[in-house]
Amino acid sequence: MTDTTDATDEQTRDDVAAARRDFLKGVGAAAAVGATGLGSAQDLTEMNALEVVDDPIGDYPYRDWEDLYREEWDWDDTARSTHSVNCTGSCSWQVYTRNGQVWREEQAGDYPRFDESLPDPNPRGCQKGACFTDYVNADHRVTHPLRRTGERGEGKWERISWDEALTEIADEVVDAVEDEEYDAISGFTPIPAMSPVSFASGSRLINLLGGVSHSFYDWYSDLPPGQPITWGTQTENAESADWYNADYIIAWGSNINVTRIPDAKYFLEAGYDGAKRVGIFTDYSQTAIHCDEWIGPEPGTDTALALGMARTIVDEGLYDEDHLKEQTDMPLLVREDTGKFLRASEVAGLSVDADRPEKVFVMQDADGGLRAAPGSLGERDGQHDASASIALDFDPDLAAERTVDTDDGSVETRSVWLNLRDELSAYTPERVHELTGVGEFTHRKIAREFADADRAKIIHGKGVNDWYHNDLGNRAIQLLVTLTGNLGRQGTGLDHYVGQEKIWTYEGWQTLSFPTGSVRGVPTTLWTYYHAGIMENTDPETADRIRESVEKGWMPLYPSERDDGSRPDPRVMFVWRGNYFNQAKGNVAVEEELWPKLDLVVDVNFRMDSTALNSDIVLPTASHYEKHDLSETDMHTYVHPFTPAVEPLGEAKTDWEIFRALAEKIQEVAEERDAGPVDDRKFDRQIDLQSVHDDYVRDWETGEADALAEDRAAAEFILENSEETNPSDTTERIEFDDIDEQPRRLLATGDHWTSDIEDGEAYTPWKDYVQDKEPWPTFTGRQQYYIDHDWFLELGEELPTHKESPVLQEKSEYPLSYNTPHSRWSIHSTWRDDTKMLRLQRGEPTVYLNPDDAEERGIEDGDTVRVYNDLDSVEVQAKIYPSGEPGTARHFFSWERFQYPDRNNFNSLVPMYMKPTQLVRYPEDSGEHLHFFPNYWGPTGVNSDVRVEVEAVEDGAESLAGGVGGGEGSDGDADETANGADGSASGPLDRVTDLLGGGDR
Amino acid sequence: MSKTDDDGTGRVGDEGRARQADDGNVPIAEGVDHQVAMVMDLNKCIGCQTCTIACKTNWTESGGREYMYWNNVETKPGAGYPRDWEELGGGWDEEGQERTPGELPDEEAYGRPWEFNHEAIMYEGSDEPLRPLENADWGPNWDEDEGAGEYPNSYYFYLPRICNHCTHPSCVEACPRSAIYKREEDGIVLVDQDRCRGYRYCVEGCPYKKVFYNAQTKTSEKCIFCYPRIEGEGPEGEVRPPSCAEDCPPQLRHVGFLDDEDGPIHALVNEYEVALRLHPEYRTEPNVYYIPPYAPPQTGEDGETVDADRIPLNYLEELFGPRVEEALNTITRERERAERGEESELMEILSTVNNDDQYRLEVFDDAA
Repeated sequence: MTDTTDATDEQTRDDVAAARRDFLKGVGAAAAVGATGLGSAQDLTEMNALEVVDDPIGDYPYRDWEDLYREEWDWDDTARSTHSVNCTGSCSWQVYTRNGQVWREEQAGDYPRFDESLPDPNPRGCQKGACFTDYVNADHRVTHPLRRTGERGEGKWERISWDEALTEIADEVVDAVEDEEYDAISGFTPIPAMSPVSFASGSRLINLLGGVSHSFYDWYSDLPPGQPITWGTQTENAESADWYNADYIIAWGSNINVTRIPDAKYFLEAGYDGAKRVGIFTDYSQTAIHCDEWIGPEPGTDTALALGMARTIVDEGLYDEDHLKEQTDMPLLVREDTGKFLRASEVAGLSVDADRPEKVFVMQDADGGLRAAPGSLGERDGQHDASASIALDFDPDLAAERTVDTDDGSVETRSVWLNLRDELSAYTPERVHELTGVGEFTHRKIAREFADADRAKIIHGKGVNDWYHNDLGNRAIQLLVTLTGNLGRQGTGLDHYVGQEKIWTYEGWQTLSFPTGSVRGVPTTLWTYYHAGIMENTDPETADRIRESVEKGWMPLYPSERDDGSRPDPRVMFVWRGNYFNQAKGNVAVEEELWPKLDLVVDVNFRMDSTALNSDIVLPTASHYEKHDLSETDMHTYVHPFTPAVEPLGEAKTDWEIFRALAEKIQEVAEERDAGPVDDRKFDRQIDLQSVHDDYVRDWETGEADALAEDRAAAEFILENSEETNPSDTTERIEFDDIDEQPRRLLATGDHWTSDIEDGEAYTPWKDYVQDKEPWPTFTGRQQYYIDHDWFLELGEELPTHKESPVLQEKSEYPLSYNTPHSRWSIHSTWRDDTKMLRLQRGEPTVYLNPDDAEERGIEDGDTVRVYNDLDSVEVQAKIYPSGEPGTARHFFSWERFQYPDRNNFNSLVPMYMKPTQLVRYPEDSGEHLHFFPNYWGPTGVNSDVRVEVEAVEDGAESLAGGVGGGEGSDGDADETANGADGSASGPLDRVTDLLGGGDR
Repeated sequence: MSKTDDDGTGRVGDEGRARQADDGNVPIAEGVDHQVAMVMDLNKCIGCQTCTIACKTNWTESGGREYMYWNNVETKPGAGYPRDWEELGGGWDEEGQERTPGELPDEEAYGRPWEFNHEAIMYEGSDEPLRPLENADWGPNWDEDEGAGEYPNSYYFYLPRICNHCTHPSCVEACPRSAIYKREEDGIVLVDQDRCRGYRYCVEGCPYKKVFYNAQTKTSEKCIFCYPRIEGEGPEGEVRPPSCAEDCPPQLRHVGFLDDEDGPIHALVNEYEVALRLHPEYRTEPNVYYIPPYAPPQTGEDGETVDADRIPLNYLEELFGPRVEEALNTITRERERAERGEESELMEILSTVNNDDQYRLEVFDDAA
């Protein structure tokens, strides 16, 4: 079948793989010899002379054979490493080597305890980490540079040398820079915390080239927009150990027992410490089974449920009044005529000690006097100012309602609190029950219990964050911890653990990744959807708002618009440490529209994932057991390393070495071509390709040349240049050797955290604001539930409110909700194709169906079915799941495209959505509260507002032995069905247009 | 650890309850000095299968063992691994004297260790999907998460299983070559790989179906309670619990000796009586015990939580025998103490806050 790879190439790759295979099979071979004794002739002898055993219970005389298994339990060496996957686990492992090869791994189990009253933090790890060795040794591992010879995705390659590969890439890069299209060069790599050196490897080069660095946290819809909206902060969580400190925990759409395996212990054991644990999941989930009460709302109605609970807390007076007065915008006055906050500058005779009184807000005190609200943006410097305070020297009136004399005459005003009470009044028990299906009594009981608990916490997950209206849902659920004052103390808060948005060692990572300090960051949702054609394929209002946001500079878009009004297409894309192509929502449009625009796609990978398979050049990188790096997560407060247990397999190199070598080649090509420096059109700098390698390896902090040639030196750079590992106020510091010895707890927190690391206590956020009374980094300096941005007012979202999901598919035609949760069997697409994991599933993608839904459609467990909507159709195996709510097709996400007969995937059924409220700047003129910052504020790429239908397939692609041969006409079949479903004869791209362009939104 | 109940810890005292043995002697098999045992807390099992993978990478990667899961985790209710093992017989009759007949599971019941077509797809231009290269219509975790009942009152939980290293093992009795034995020092049940000829009477005879036939070596093999680890074999010479226990993320397993009267296993099994045997009616007297699972109450038709058991008690009794209700009541009572802020020794044992008692292996000089 190989028509492009010559025999020698294949031979080499097979040799490498075979070496590891043979080693592994050695275990079995030894067993075979031991077990069969000394051969058949002697077998007979032994049979004849079989010794009698008197009593095999206790008194067994022939035990010498036991050495067989003792000899299997043997190794030569160990090395400490971990896994660079976006799972927030950050688990330290010992990797065992035998005969120079990786044999197995086991959790290192030596995180130091910092609080003896909490469960032991060890061991951290899961079943996937426990078999990463399989990837290191996999037959299908990428072992040398490959150039595509067939179509993208076809899997036809030729082996090329490193020099050829780097030269080809360098030529294209130099061309792009010389054409002043450096902003058409993209670098996509997610999640610095999981391996910051590897993250920085390519980001550093992209930065030097003037290229574009992509966001990921917003793109993956892991970012909860309600946090920047309400709390002015990207996301802040307690480390998971703090769960144990809570008396009451609600797991809300966060399937901890599946997605937080190393942390689940703290949730499970909190039950033994007397905590009540409530699970809110649409299905009776793997976490619900270990809760004390399970609430199962209808999909997409969490906002209504939260607002119903908030109404109960407010109506029954269970709220924390002091917290609301001091810490929130509830006492602030809002003008009835404009819906805007009343500003101090508008109030006649109100004297304010602030530079910008138009950004100072107003409260009424207990005596009816108007008072400037301390901590308002107008009296502080920038987003966060620790020198200001929100402490009150008067008692504000929560329920203020009054006429105010302003320069415009008298205006009616009411407090946010009264506005909120009006909003909440709509969520009567009857209506909440009608919307959510949750009992009138039960949801109020949970609200009361939550409010009564001394320390109550919500663990908030992707299940409630993947919706178009995720910002509203976040704000409604956040409201519950705010109303009850459950913030800024141990065992409280709203912990949103989805993805790893930030990294403890922020400064070191940032300066390593972006040495010029001038970063062309882009919101990936906008970049992807724009170049995949969303402007022509969404409703006119959304298109207008996207256009306005870009024109006003609220959201950046690259390549930038040129002076003549044109905008080039993206041209070169580097992907490493991620699987962009597989994970892209709007997958059909990305494949059809965006991908062809790219002249060169380079994937740096140890495995052939869907992005690699759809690239032009694949560069073999070191696996997680073959390099130096760091590992961190906001689930814990430790840092620990990757160290190489073995050398990179075949011709693989570390990420750092690959991008360093590419920089070297670019410099060489630029010198040959005498390519001069190019002025950057946005930043005050020149892009000089003739020094790009020198700049890459130079330590920009000290100016030392060649200091950063190796990955380990880059890791030391991060530790040295970060507050967390090298605090400014002590001589204590953490170096690489220290963490190779044992994981270390971080020493301090930098400015991007809201509490300190304290001895003997789990990290809990918000203490800077709640305990130290520094202003929250919002417009008002308080937790802000009222947003007076014009767009929020126009859309009726100034306060949290429940809105129907803007699903594009008619329920009559597509009766099932489509849900793509995280599975326990993979971390995104990593391990999705792993043999050991697949054997513990069904070997292929499945869709979970409620038995009634299946029966109605004549579908039985194990049948091949087609899940389809007007966008596409995917063929998978049906699995009957009695704990799934009727009306939902649950397709665990992240299966690779090559696991579907049609080479589409779970994302092929998901359209492009972008919510205008997530494109704003606030305040509009200065943006201190909300402004684009990668992974901090930007549009989220959501995927839950989708409906599908499912039907049985007559002759589905079963196992290959079944003689199916997945390719067998399946492309055509799928198209026909999908077309039949929407009654048109359109091709895949037309279906995108149909779906997005309908204009009925 | 205190032996009385007057210390206010809530421990049920020895008086007034039937102890399994007089004079503090815990019954273990005659001829065996000590008995290793394990307690698994099903309320902490999240079905992640880290134990399964840890066991597999240690012992059953290759050499004819590929299909074997000496440790598996199955969803209950469910067919389990091998499929419908609870219906295949084995064990002892009511008097515990005669073995009851058992059946050999067929190959399909275990599921085959599928290989896949990665290379064809990734490097050879195949347009087929990634699929098992052989029939894939059953596997060791095929009915994962399914359970029983109807939404919203469906129910399921996870049951990790290894060889029970029984006190009265029917596999030992079944072997006509006396190639299976119980070690004198620790009661671990082993199949002598030199002596075994692969007749598979043990596979039939084990009612838990935890002995596996290796078609490559023509012998039967099974869980060895990681004896090289608990013996401190290996280059570092460190005594380590079995890998299914040590690698378990929620640390749901206690490992030690049943006859270590100061150990947590004795407390859980014999004093609090919250750790129960799986299918005690098979009468092999397993030395793996389970803390039975509780679950959130049911949801009524109007979406209200109603005070009704989600997991039917009779189902739990089928699995863990008639004492399951009492065990669940004890756990509930102790959880309520913790909720009131009172001390509960039982809750402390079950948590890892003080984890010194999770593994107690080096307590006897004459044991492994």
